Amino acid sequence: MDLIRHLQCFVAVAEESHFGRAAQRLGMAQPPLSQRIQRLERELGVRLFERTSRQVTITKGGTLLLDEAREILARSEALRATARRIQEGRTGLLRAALPPDLAGDTVAAILAAFRHRHGGVELELQELTTADQLAGLASHDLDVGLIRHPCDVAGLELGPVQRHELGVLLLRDAPAARSGTVPLTALTGYDLILFPRAQAPAVHDDLLTTCARHGYTPAAVRHGQGPSFTRGLILSSRAVAFTSRDAHPAQDPDITWRPLTGAPLTLRHSAAWPRGRGDAAALAFADTVTDALAATATAGGDLPPTPLHLRPAAEYWI
Amino acid sequence: MTENKARTRGRVHAAFAEAGVTGWLHAVDIDSGAQLDAGADQPVVTASVHKLCLLVALHQQAEAGRLDLSEQTMCPPRDRTPGPTGLAAMLDDVRLSLRDAAYLMMAVSDNTAADLILERVGLDAVNHTTRCLGLTRTRAVHTFREFLTLLKEDTGPGGPEALADPRVIAGLRVLDPAATNRSTPRDMTRLLAAIWRDEACAPEHTAAMRRLLGLQVWPHRLASGFPFDDVHVAGKTGSLPTVRNEVGVVEYPDGGRYAVAVFTRASSPAAVLPPADAVIGTAARIAVDALRARRD
Repeated sequence: MDLIRHLQCFVAVAEESHFGRAAQRLGMAQPPLSQRIQRLERELGVRLFERTSRQVTITKGGTLLLDEAREILARSEALRATARRIQEGRTGLLRAALPPDLAGDTVAAILAAFRHRHGGVELELQELTTADQLAGLASHDLDVGLIRHPCDVAGLELGPVQRHELGVLLLRDAPAARSGTVPLTALTGYDLILFPRAQAPAVHDDLLTTCARHGYTPAAVRHGQGPSFTRGLILSSRAVAFTSRDAHPAQDPDITWRPLTGAPLTLRHSAAWPRGRGDAAALAFADTVTDALAATATAGGDLPPTPLHLRPAAEYWI
Repeated sequence: MTENKARTRGRVHAAFAEAGVTGWLHAVDIDSGAQLDAGADQPVVTASVHKLCLLVALHQQAEAGRLDLSEQTMCPPRDRTPGPTGLAAMLDDVRLSLRDAAYLMMAVSDNTAADLILERVGLDAVNHTTRCLGLTRTRAVHTFREFLTLLKEDTGPGGPEALADPRVIAGLRVLDPAATNRSTPRDMTRLLAAIWRDEACAPEHTAAMRRLLGLQVWPHRLASGFPFDDVHVAGKTGSLPTVRNEVGVVEYPDGGRYAVAVFTRASSPAAVLPPADAVIGTAARIAVDALRARRD
């Protein structure tokens, strides 16, 4: 049952005290109006009107419900008005997402800066993995996000790609922690704690491929992400994890963070929104995120120049 | 039955996800018409898969007497359509017949050979061929040279290394089905079925086409899903940055024959991505196994 439409009928009949006039006001015929009132009465289990051959009067129960009905109709109208304002880009709600392991200070900076820039827009911010963000952007349940690369960017527009160099978290007294920077080969024998693959499969695979390319193939990959879980594994089971410097609490007595020699591992981010749907609010959020990340990003553009050897099975040639 | 289909479709999608790709598949039992649809009507970029449409157009023109497949054509080394195989990779003058150019186009996806044939056949004829076979969503809008020029323009001066930049990938026109040579998985299985049922041309011509599809050298995609010496796989691949496609026919010794079209797009722009190639075979195998289970 379309409750809103039925309540409109109820209110109209109550105000006109006459089925014919109410029908006229609603722009409909009288029989379907009577049917709607009967249907609503059945649905609510309350008799709303007393009908005589000449007139219609509202019952006591009907009177008690009339105010509620008017309130629902007013709210429904407000909802439509807000929707129209959002459509026209004047104000409304921006549905945005950030990845789960972003540093808390960065999240706070993004929220503060966005509020400052775009106070009129209500920000509904969620913590979502890249995979969930891509699904949300594709279904238009999400207006803008911050995604990790590589991922499937079909149908998206992207802000500038920013890099965050990853270092290694390991036991303070581990042999590899003695030097200032740690070569990946020095991690041989350690398990690797890594975010669950489903969160960003290509980023996950890319990290493992790059580790292998630089001489580190973990004996086992343990999927986990929470700081406590990661800390527990590092303390107790000969494992290491990769994070950017700003995501690591510096005061940990047992665990230390070291840069990797040659900075082979990076996380790459960019803001993303569905192609052609970047309204002012979405673009402002994208800029805010980019600015907030710039403070911690590695300078020097998106990618270090590495050769890329196309093989004949590529079929294309550039 | 429907529940089984849903389960099979779920397994196909799970295989795609595991390989880090988004994929669309259509598989058809050529004789019974039984089918499996996992995104069969998705508009996709064909890339070199469109060489199959060109091959059919070439044979239809030969059948109509408009050209002779053994006629010789000259291919000078200058200004060849670029590519990593065949004539495109050779350095000296080559003289060869149209049908040998067709062999290179199908066996090693030779871009120069494809444009050599396309010059003789014409883009309109390719579209006429696919339209007449009922492939309503298949269309060639440019030659392979134009196609590669577009790719090069959008990649920019950085060369292939620039493909590692997600913004470059997001801006490639050749990855947009609306802007380039395109089709759907269902259209492609329809084309394959027409070749295998001798409906695309006279039997001597369809036999020649089936032979060429069987001579394709790449083993890493569709064929990798059928590691059985008694099962024959014939197909044509297509590739672009992040795109890996293959359409082909799998034939079992009991007479079962299945047209399969798989189009994928990888999350990673890496040039070498073995799981993304192999999942084309894996997904095709899941589909063909399901179609075969229903034969009994």
